[in-house]
Amino acid sequence: MTPRAGVRFRDLAAAELRKAVTLPAVRAAVLGTVAGSAGLAALNAVGARGALGAGAAGAGPVPSAFDIAYTAAPLGAAGAVVLGVVAMSSEYAASSADAGGGRQVTATLTAAPGRLGVLGAKALVVALVVATTAVLAIGACRAVATLVLGDAAAEAVGLREAVLRTAGAALYWTLTALIALAVTVLTRGGTLPLVLLVANGSLVSFSLLLSRVTPWAYWLPDLAGRRLYGGLTTVPGGPDAVTGAWVMTAWTAALLAVAGLVLARRDA
Amino acid sequence: MIQIDDLTKRRGPRTVLDRVSFTAEPGQVTAFLGPNGAGKSSTLRILLGLDRPDGGTARVAGVPYRRLRYPLRTVGSMLDGPGAHRSRTARDHLRWVARTHGIPVRRVDEVLAQVGLAEAARVRVGRLSLGTGQRLGLAAALLGEPEVLVLDEPVNGLDPDGIRWIRDLLRAHADAGGTVLLSSHLMGEVAGVADDLVVIADGRIVAAGPLDRVTAGYRSLEDAFFALTASREVAR
Repeated sequence: MTPRAGVRFRDLAAAELRKAVTLPAVRAAVLGTVAGSAGLAALNAVGARGALGAGAAGAGPVPSAFDIAYTAAPLGAAGAVVLGVVAMSSEYAASSADAGGGRQVTATLTAAPGRLGVLGAKALVVALVVATTAVLAIGACRAVATLVLGDAAAEAVGLREAVLRTAGAALYWTLTALIALAVTVLTRGGTLPLVLLVANGSLVSFSLLLSRVTPWAYWLPDLAGRRLYGGLTTVPGGPDAVTGAWVMTAWTAALLAVAGLVLARRDA
Repeated sequence: MIQIDDLTKRRGPRTVLDRVSFTAEPGQVTAFLGPNGAGKSSTLRILLGLDRPDGGTARVAGVPYRRLRYPLRTVGSMLDGPGAHRSRTARDHLRWVARTHGIPVRRVDEVLAQVGLAEAARVRVGRLSLGTGQRLGLAAALLGEPEVLVLDEPVNGLDPDGIRWIRDLLRAHADAGGTVLLSSHLMGEVAGVADDLVVIADGRIVAAGPLDRVTAGYRSLEDAFFALTASREVAR
């Protein structure tokens, strides 16, 4: 099928995927997220094994390897932020002064003048890469936790529940990355969204602070979606997991729509 | 064929393009000349669909750039160097560009060889010299075997060999019936390759036409350039 103008979306998505996998920052973010999560899960598992060894019977329920692995999931969302930001900020980074000062966005938009298509292709690729990274990371965490705990753990989490909780975390990461992508379209640079979104996801949650002031804060994307991390304890309040997932998805769609509108109208 | 009609562009209170009109014909090398900041890049960015004009139209092969189907098959362009991310290799850059148009990888290696970059194909863009970066930009422009070439300051940073090479390439492209529009802020760079001149100063076209007509009455191209662009500065 030939397009009326521009290029085929299929080709554009394939080009964006090629861009992503050949960008060292993307590879580093994927590897760093998987390795970092696995490292965190290993620490948690060592801690749990210690408690199990020291604690007499009755110290609590026997830890599940999956539960221990899964505690690493929320921090891994920082990796998703990096992936979402880099997908767009790499377009606006200046080439070295030596090779000419241009930015990649010139090459991108002359090859594919349909800007909504470009954003759509980027979003698709970011979602694909981040969801894959999430599954790999949680899988690695689980493997590491099992390895450390050895026979000490009894797996209380069934396959169905494990799959559901992994999917929940993957969805949270993916939506977080898409929000990061949308914000970076607006800022045209990676520093601000990286600092804001990584800090919000790991150090201080602005929405959590805001929830002390108004209960509406529970409907902000990160708080609304937090129950996608099934089984993790969290602050009370706000929508349940399914409603929260829809709320977070709606935020993501709205931000991407704003990003698309701005991208389509402004000078490159 | 490139047609620019009545193009106006404002940035804040400043009018950067003031009813700019000219054409670049097939079979000709058209040089777009003017001092830095005169409006050359602004015109080319609008022509390539990157920026929007406040008035007027820019058409290539009869339609605005954004309406072209598979644009790289009609127009090859280079603005501000190659527009490649510094941490990707030259070949990886061309491969994603080719992928947008379903252009086979074979063609990527062909253009790399054509611009003399076969050896540097696996070097990261950030480590290329200015001249090699320009060659990469040209390779990207040639990828889709386009009829029209639009090049912003293409000889920037090229050594004398490179300058001669690119002149030969542009000449051959025009002689084969292609349209070539290249911008420069240095008259001497385009002398000997341009058939037509379009001179812009302070956002307005001050002269356009065949080289000999535009430069008639001046001792040299350089004199013509300074006289044409300076008169506007004074008039302002």
